[in-house]
Amino acid sequence: MKYSMLLIALLSVSSLIGAEHIHSPDTQAMKHIIEKTNAQLAHAHAQTAEARAETRKAQAHLAKANATAEQILKENKTIHISVVGQGVAPMNTSSPAQAYALAKRAAIADAYRAIAEKVKGVRIDGQDLIKNMMVKRSTIRTSVKAMVRNANIVETTFKEGLCEVEMEMIISHSDFVR
Amino acid sequence: MRSRDGNDNLSLRLCSIILFFSLTLNAGEYLVSYKYIVKDAILYNETMNISHAMKECYGTPQKELILENTSNGNLKKLISKNSEEFIEYIHKLGLNVEHNEITSNLQNSSTTILTLKTTCFKVDFNDNFARITPLK
Repeated sequence: MKYSMLLIALLSVSSLIGAEHIHSPDTQAMKHIIEKTNAQLAHAHAQTAEARAETRKAQAHLAKANATAEQILKENKTIHISVVGQGVAPMNTSSPAQAYALAKRAAIADAYRAIAEKVKGVRIDGQDLIKNMMVKRSTIRTSVKAMVRNANIVETTFKEGLCEVEMEMIISHSDFVR
Repeated sequence: MRSRDGNDNLSLRLCSIILFFSLTLNAGEYLVSYKYIVKDAILYNETMNISHAMKECYGTPQKELILENTSNGNLKKLISKNSEEFIEYIHKLGLNVEHNEITSNLQNSSTTILTLKTTCFKVDFNDNFARITPLK
């Protein structure tokens, strides 16, 4: 009986020592992983700081650009606007010449629209219909209303039924002050 | 007979009156409006209305367009013969742009309307050319 008790005690002591020996490499690995994650975190922090600096720079650049855009409309200054309009010929044309003429007209209208959008701006209206947690209908409406004069055609190209018209317009301060 | 008697003044007056009336009768005022619609990048409809002005137009003449006159005082014929040139000229005068675009469930459709509001044009028809001037 005494021997058996001693044996049990010896066995338990040995198992404890063994467990310690087994656990020790795990903790080392954990330490290593923690160090690694810390390094990664530091790297991520550095990256976010860089990104923030970049966004600040971009914002400053945008602010500068806006400031210059406002300055252009001052007296004795002009703005040069250049746009490209696209138009397609209808399917039922009687000749290639008619197709070209119609496509060009459509392209001019598109170029006028682009000029109006640049000069006056676009009105945007959006509407989403959600039913039973699902988007049923999503609608975006844009509209432009303007008066465009003195726009000139720079170049016209017609390729595979698509007509592209490059138009330009020079706006001066005196055009607005009358 | 009178001119032989040395009364040159009357014949000169008569000539000048005939010349004046021939010039003024050939000049007229016309109302022109123009509109074209483009739907989904395709020309959908184009309209131009031309009519004689029933009332006298007021305004200062703007930059003129000179076209070759082969239509004996008929503005509609003249414009139809030189439509490209006249439409280009109208574009320079200025057009109202109205554009509407709808994107519904990722499908896009657009309509652009270009309009020249009814404008009074003074047209002088001469033998070889016609002078078209908008009054504003």
